[in-house]
Amino acid sequence: MRAQDASIRVGLIGCGAVARLYYMPALRELEAAGSIEVAALLDPVAGHAALLHEAFPRAQMARQLPDLPRQGFDLAIVASPHSLHAAQTIELLEAGVSVLCEKPMATSVDDARAMIRAASVGPGLLAIGLVRRYFPATRMIRHMLALGTLGDITSFEFSEGFASFDWPAASRGYFSKREAQGGVLMDTGVHALDLLQWWLGKIAVLEYADDAMGGIEANCLIRCRLECGSTGEVRLSRDCALANRYTVRGSRGWLSWQAGQVDQFEFGFADSAQVVQARPRDQSASNFEQSFLSQLRNVIAALRGTEQLQVPAAEGIAGIELIENCYRQRSLMAMPWLDDREIARGRELNGGRMAGVVAR
Amino acid sequence: MSHRVALLGASGFIGSRIVEMFHLGGLADVRPVTRSIGALARLSRFDLDWRVADARDQQGMCKAFAGCETVIHAIAGDPATIRDSVTPVYRAAHEAGVRRLVYLSSASVHGQAPLPGTDEESPLRRRQPIAYNNAKACAERRLRGLRAKGAVELVILRPGIVTGPRSIWQTRFAIELLAGTAYWLNDGRGICNSLYVDNLVHAIQLALTAPGIDGQAFLVGDAETVTWADLYRPIAQAMGFDSIQLPNVDHVPRRGNILELARSMERTRPGRAIASLIPRRVRLGIRAAMTPVPPVNASPWAIPIAPASPLPSATLEMSRLYRCAWKLPDTKARQLLGYRPVVSFTEGCRRTIGWLGFAGFPTIQENNRSR
Repeated sequence: MRAQDASIRVGLIGCGAVARLYYMPALRELEAAGSIEVAALLDPVAGHAALLHEAFPRAQMARQLPDLPRQGFDLAIVASPHSLHAAQTIELLEAGVSVLCEKPMATSVDDARAMIRAASVGPGLLAIGLVRRYFPATRMIRHMLALGTLGDITSFEFSEGFASFDWPAASRGYFSKREAQGGVLMDTGVHALDLLQWWLGKIAVLEYADDAMGGIEANCLIRCRLECGSTGEVRLSRDCALANRYTVRGSRGWLSWQAGQVDQFEFGFADSAQVVQARPRDQSASNFEQSFLSQLRNVIAALRGTEQLQVPAAEGIAGIELIENCYRQRSLMAMPWLDDREIARGRELNGGRMAGVVAR
Repeated sequence: MSHRVALLGASGFIGSRIVEMFHLGGLADVRPVTRSIGALARLSRFDLDWRVADARDQQGMCKAFAGCETVIHAIAGDPATIRDSVTPVYRAAHEAGVRRLVYLSSASVHGQAPLPGTDEESPLRRRQPIAYNNAKACAERRLRGLRAKGAVELVILRPGIVTGPRSIWQTRFAIELLAGTAYWLNDGRGICNSLYVDNLVHAIQLALTAPGIDGQAFLVGDAETVTWADLYRPIAQAMGFDSIQLPNVDHVPRRGNILELARSMERTRPGRAIASLIPRRVRLGIRAAMTPVPPVNASPWAIPIAPASPLPSATLEMSRLYRCAWKLPDTKARQLLGYRPVVSFTEGCRRTIGWLGFAGFPTIQENNRSR
């Protein structure tokens, strides 16, 4: 652990969209406060690192991990393509560097376990970047549910999807099966499944269907069951504009969170038409940027030994286990506009059977 | 699948279906070309040799076309994109040794309410009140000029109201119906020159390979003559409306507040193009402001619905479309392309309703499934 008064040297591994949009502002603020110093920027595309170098001119730039001196930084933020997370994280942990690994922490449970093993034998910490856990709204929802405010949970529906994909992905690998290892489930789904389990406890996947036909899924539907026996669905899409609402219903009431809303949600009680629009008065974050800042502050505090990690690797792996479970029982989503020949070919390419969900 | 075809506009509504039909149906080896990495989101369902290049970048296009026998230009967009993309695309195709370019124009080059007797030989009006029509007509003229000097064969298709999964015509109606802002003119009795997307893709396939059609333009449509009420009634019924009682509304230009402006922008092509320039967070904010809290028993996939507007207003485009009294003929396409619609209007409606359920609309099929 670093001494409390020492500035923590940070290496940013991967300088794509999430690094540019969210980590850079947070790191600048922390650097201005003297809490950290950005010491290294790594990206195989020199232009990506150069963009961030303007904000952190003292940082050393590199294209590959071996080009960076291991003693040069204390904390690495791994924000590279999904398929690189495990190898880079393990390499860094073995060199004694602590890691904040962006979600998904890995693309397989085996890799995630290897990461945890590497963290357990070395001095470095391993935190997972699940930024939605730092939203005041999601924290308050967790609190309400833990208190049993809604009574017995009877059902839930989580949906998140947009008709056009406007995340400024810097790499084509984002849509490559080989590099991304998954589509909307691996990406948005990590957040959705993490919140689902964080709020409602462990779930079991009953049925999973997606529309991958040789590539990665743009749509998926998961039917799952809580330990209490209640069931619900998670619908995700990079193709359709969905309601973008996470709704939980219980015997005493309901709550609904609009996906991405940092500090707002709604709830109501059974037999009442009234809706409460809640705005938690947690001043830690009111937007995405501040939530990333909160996340980094927690990791830095954990490095200094003054706080516990809020999302340690042991919690990050739960979502990966669910995703792997989903892919294992994959079936082709029913797409009623395809003709019989297309469905047959789609099923071959999907590798699964035809799903019963959204029956034709 | 020996025929390799480059597809511009592959991530759009029509492009997506072309990819599905060509790839899954084994009709051609399709190479999707998109303008941005993000546009690959839907296409990445398939393992395809996709490329990222801007249609206005001739060099980029030329690289994307390498090894392709034919090119389909199915790019949607604002009038400037429509006009400015054709020249670099044609020249790139020429440079890359492409044999034929199939350009998706629009029946709107004849106006939204074409005069009786209109067919492919009718002169294109240069100064129509809707910029989209003029841009499509301009693009056709430019392409014909390029063909006169270039080696790449040119075939132009002029589809009417293209329907099907992801069609703006049906999706928008469903949203407006749920929001209580749907309207029509003349009780929907105007002719809808419909074309189910699979029929269009079939026509494209024929246009890529049919001999002796260089330089020709073709109107293509469904076999049936249908009205706007025929198009909308099945959607309304699928969403639980026994009968459609819609106000008859004409086009009245008016000013509105920011939410009304946001909604009206969604209704027009230029509006959607402008909306795409607004930062995502601002759009999400506007969308959130337009989104009421769902009732406890709402469909899990219900689309966010704006509150009902007291005075729906017809767009200029819709007010003209609702006045259409002429079924555009596809005689020429039948004769020269061998075109025959492969999906009936009724079956097309059924498949589209299936997609509405897939995409989160509270259709009866969806409700039944949820129970």
